[in-house]
Amino acid sequence: MDVPIRLAGLLAVALLALLASLLVGGSYLAPGDLLYALTHPGANTDVVTILWQLRMPRVCIAAVVGAELAIAGALLQGLLRNPLVDSYLTGVSPGAAAAIALSVVAGVAAPALPAIGFVAGLGTAMLVAAFARRGAGLDAIRLILCGVSLSALFSAVVTLVLTRAGADYAAQILAWLAGSTAGRGWHDLAFTLPYAALGLAFALAAVPALNVLRLGETRATAVGVNVARTQWVILIAAALLAASAVAVSGSIGFVGLVVPHLARRVVGGDARVLLPASALLGAALCAIADAASRSIAAPAELPVGVLLAFVGVPTFLYLYLNMQKAPA
Amino acid sequence: MIALRDAAIGIEGRTLIAPATATIATGRFVAILGANGVGKTTLLRVLAGALRPVAGTVRIDDLDPAAAGPLERAHRIAFVTSDDAPVDGLSARDVVASGRYPFHRWWEWSEDAADTAAVEGALAAVGMAGFSGRGFETLSSGERQRVWIALALAQEAPVLLLDEPTSHLDVRVAHEILALLRAQAKAGRTIVCAMHDINDAATYADALMLLGDRAMLAFDAPERVFTAALLERAYGIPMEIVRAASGAPRAFAIGNASGADPGS
Repeated sequence: MDVPIRLAGLLAVALLALLASLLVGGSYLAPGDLLYALTHPGANTDVVTILWQLRMPRVCIAAVVGAELAIAGALLQGLLRNPLVDSYLTGVSPGAAAAIALSVVAGVAAPALPAIGFVAGLGTAMLVAAFARRGAGLDAIRLILCGVSLSALFSAVVTLVLTRAGADYAAQILAWLAGSTAGRGWHDLAFTLPYAALGLAFALAAVPALNVLRLGETRATAVGVNVARTQWVILIAAALLAASAVAVSGSIGFVGLVVPHLARRVVGGDARVLLPASALLGAALCAIADAASRSIAAPAELPVGVLLAFVGVPTFLYLYLNMQKAPA
Repeated sequence: MIALRDAAIGIEGRTLIAPATATIATGRFVAILGANGVGKTTLLRVLAGALRPVAGTVRIDDLDPAAAGPLERAHRIAFVTSDDAPVDGLSARDVVASGRYPFHRWWEWSEDAADTAAVEGALAAVGMAGFSGRGFETLSSGERQRVWIALALAQEAPVLLLDEPTSHLDVRVAHEILALLRAQAKAGRTIVCAMHDINDAATYADALMLLGDRAMLAFDAPERVFTAALLERAYGIPMEIVRAASGAPRAFAIGNASGADPGS
């Protein structure tokens, strides 16, 4: 099968996943009602309100977050030539978690938390990058070591805050740590989109260099790739994407690590198709996980991050160990 | 044209080659010879602009390679390194197409007609036209070396630097690669190639640059460099020079069959 056809297949999968996740939730929408509400956004009925005020923004956020994390993971795996890497390697998530935990205890109002998480996540990534500098560029091993160490440090901060904070605070912090899109609305999407777009722009600028980097840094340098600049562009792209995802949905792990692997199996390793394929698969996966989190124990909600790990990890292992390798 | 003027070559503060002056004219095939660790790769890296000379100047025509931007450098100099980082999931053609990187701005993602012509032409020039769809990892060492050279040819740079392109290759394949480089020199490319096999170098290169004793010991036609004294000085082992039926000089190290420690 041609790569464009495979990509179109992934697009169809992602659209189906989005539609399906619009149907389920606290109350099930019949496909006819969904169609009516989609085509009459101004109508004043319960179905229209549920779809446009509650469900649509959540599904969109889940999809955007999934796409962001998947692209960030694909970028860093390509840059570091290491399949075990994801965007959290840069410390984005623990950094944001620590800042949010401290802010919650300090009594900061909930609407300010995404901005704090975003700044702290991005700041942590830049701190890791500063430690990992070597000459004009970045040292891959140092980046991984510093990312893991700082992550451990900030995770310890979160644990410390959790053990000292009152039950109310702890519940609020834990809800964030578990990774969730519950109660997110259009304003959260509006918050994350500009940074997502900026991160995506950086990512796209690095695509040709990312492809040549598959030959290794020495050979990439020989054909004119500015390796140091490419490293920074990719790191900034991944940090922006991951930090803006973490800011609205908390710590959703697993997507950034495994989606690029699945995408690579479907379309191969060419960054020109790997990045869109990762985005589509990440969006589909998170949208479905979000729908499941709303419906499995309705009216109670399960955290998306936890659900993704429970359902996603065995699925991933099964697929990864059994799927035929796609043409490069 | 490549010009070294009083250029001293070194790495990390250590001078490996004392200041030397040499000119390599366009279309020449020069082999760099010398013992392990003498500075052959370091010299190539200086010519490629990856390192600055410790002293003096290096010019590729009017270009200072170390001062040039990476893209400008890639248009002027192609460098086949001996780097053996794994290349997973790429076809032979994908690898060669990487040589077209300097011809595109970052938003130009698709291959144009000039790219296709350069990539197919490079694959044909190294005799790998039928292998374009093959996975790189499935190729033999000789085929991989041909692909790396095709990548450099696709770059369409007038200067081609190679770091030991025939090491690890069998006799026939090594000769095929060197004949291919010879043909590229004839077509007008300037070729500088670090080598271990001194006799192959003498057969194919126009001139030999012999490194040893922290200096450029000789830079001359093979007949002149192939003296027992010069080669012994460079390699630290007694040498015997003979003439092949073709008249080309051949050098042989005189081994120690008794197994006594040559250092004692």
